[in-house]
Amino acid sequence: MTRLPWNWSIERKLPLFVTALLLAVVLVMLGAAYREVRSAAIAFASQRVLRSNKAWVSVFERSTTTQQTQLATLVTDQGVRDFVASGGRSGHDWALAAARRIVPDGARNVALELWDSLGHRLLLRGDSALASDPAPLPASDSAVVGPWLMRHDTLMFYQVGVVVRAGPEGRVVGRAVHVARLNVSALQRQILTGIAGGDIALLVGNAGGDPWTDLEKTIPGPPPEARAHPDTTTAASYEHDEVKIGAVTAIPGTPWMFISELSRQQVLAPAQQYLRRISLIAAVIVLAGALGAWWISRRLTTPLNRLTTAAAAIASGDLAQRVDVPGTDELGRLGRSFNAMAGEVQRARSDLESQVVERTQALRETNAELEAFSYSVSHDLRAPLRAIHGFARILLEDHGAKLEPDAKRVLGVIDENTRRMGQLIDDLLSFSRLGRKEVESGRVDMNELVRGVADEVRRAAGERPLDITIGPLPPARGDRDMLRQAVHNLLDNAAKFTRRRAPGQIDVGHRADGAETVYYVKDNGAGFDPRYASKLFGVFQRLHTAEEFEGTGVGLAIVQRIVHRHGGRVWAEGQVEKGATFFFTLRGADA
Amino acid sequence: MTQPHEVEILLVEDNPSDAELTLRALKQRNLANQVFVCRDGAEALDFFFGDGSHALREIGVVPKVILLDLKLPKVDGLEVLRRLKEEARTKSIPVVVLTSSREEPDIARAYRLGANSYIVKPVDFEAFARAVSDVGLYWLLLNHPPR
Repeated sequence: MTRLPWNWSIERKLPLFVTALLLAVVLVMLGAAYREVRSAAIAFASQRVLRSNKAWVSVFERSTTTQQTQLATLVTDQGVRDFVASGGRSGHDWALAAARRIVPDGARNVALELWDSLGHRLLLRGDSALASDPAPLPASDSAVVGPWLMRHDTLMFYQVGVVVRAGPEGRVVGRAVHVARLNVSALQRQILTGIAGGDIALLVGNAGGDPWTDLEKTIPGPPPEARAHPDTTTAASYEHDEVKIGAVTAIPGTPWMFISELSRQQVLAPAQQYLRRISLIAAVIVLAGALGAWWISRRLTTPLNRLTTAAAAIASGDLAQRVDVPGTDELGRLGRSFNAMAGEVQRARSDLESQVVERTQALRETNAELEAFSYSVSHDLRAPLRAIHGFARILLEDHGAKLEPDAKRVLGVIDENTRRMGQLIDDLLSFSRLGRKEVESGRVDMNELVRGVADEVRRAAGERPLDITIGPLPPARGDRDMLRQAVHNLLDNAAKFTRRRAPGQIDVGHRADGAETVYYVKDNGAGFDPRYASKLFGVFQRLHTAEEFEGTGVGLAIVQRIVHRHGGRVWAEGQVEKGATFFFTLRGADA
Repeated sequence: MTQPHEVEILLVEDNPSDAELTLRALKQRNLANQVFVCRDGAEALDFFFGDGSHALREIGVVPKVILLDLKLPKVDGLEVLRRLKEEARTKSIPVVVLTSSREEPDIARAYRLGANSYIVKPVDFEAFARAVSDVGLYWLLLNHPPR
């Protein structure tokens, strides 16, 4: 399974988060800044082209106005009027003189024509090649500027025409046409272009179509959509070879159009360069931020990792483990607290260990004392007892014939009690030995064990009929020798208390109880008063007199001690003369 | 009472009552004539390794069996056993530990030191007499020692 980002370590998450945040902020700011710079560049470019157009349009306006005024003045001259009205037959010299004022001798690229109303040219002054052939442009009373014309292949000309009136009614008798060349001096160009900035392309031409010029040579005109909406206040954006930002202005009083345009790409170049430069700075900032975040997270996680490692080491038992987290910040304080805690744990542990050592030593001493005591009891109590018993027997054997019956009875009592005392000592010793012996744990086949004990008990019963049935018994977990002792005591007990039954009936069986098994030994013997059931397992506790049933009262105490040492329980049920059942529990062999 | 050269059983027993009962049990089987009794461990060691002050030392008597109590004054039974089994001359003499102690560590130590048998003295006189006489019969009559 892939590990999800929120499961990553802080060391990865924090730098990643900070970098992502920085990147987002930087990208948004880059975008905003670029948009601002770009729109500022476009606005500035628009202003420039508009300013350029304004200057140029006024130049054109002024120059055509001069010509219009000259022409209007010419046709108000009476001599010229008469000349036209006469169809060129009279006043030719006058008219020529008037025309010379507009077109001096030797003037090039300029012409002046006078036409009559029938379409005959009456006078041509200047460059004959410029003659408006075949028909001059329509004229009105005010001088009209015509469209640009192409003459001499590359030079651009224009006509200004006006009607000539004569007679008392002011009848139209002809017209005057002035053909002039687009005339922008290099100085003008330089000054005006310089004002607007040298990178601006200047175009002038007919609003309706070709020809167009860039003031030096003729060029293909801009596409119709660029010319469609002339506007003196707003720059337009249109496709002309490439995308352009241009001011498109119709020159008043003419069918001409003037355009100042800039390549949009060129306008945006500084903005793009700016974008590249601040992108580089942004990248540096993001990188620095990522590194910084990584460093901080390292500073944060390194002590945490050390703490984790140390805590794991302590958990696995190395209490001498400490962490080195310098500084006075939260982590430093955590490190010091951790070390203090580890020290406390170590101290507590060593206290505990020394206590355990002390207690174990004390226990060992007590055990040794107990052992010495048992040894003494075993050895020293038995020797005098043996002497009493032995010499009482010798008295009876060697001097029995001389003794009175009562003396013999007394010797019998001595004999009986010393035997009993010997048995008591033996039982007591084996009981106390049980408490000290280690319980070994192994699988014990209870069927086999009980069968073996039953055989022994049957043998001990001798001729007496004793019926012992053994149900299938599950194996148990425990100390074989101890369990054998317990089972022996129980069966021996049962055999003893069924002595007056013929036959004595003993059942050994079991029932499951969770992980434990409840084993029972049931007999049809003398039973007991259930009121005293709790006393059955006490040391030296007997519910019958020695005359009825012999015994020291240790057997069941031994059974209880063995079962308890195996972690089991033991109890008994019974009624007087109705038999008794003894139960004990043991863990199953698989537990 | 006993002629030194006839010593067949060496009884090391500090308790006079036990000694008497043991002798009586042996007597019943007619084994008591060759018994010599030491009252403590030192005396027993003296019997074998003494400086010659002991009456039997010079003759170099080798009994057929030693009946050894463990709890003895001066030198205890296990020490006597250790010394006997260390010495080449006495190593092959059978030693039967005859004691009141039923304690497991005693039994284990005695066998480790080379005891040939370990008998717990019963309190019951009949049982005691039977045990002692059986031991005597076995080691004197049935057992065949090396020459």
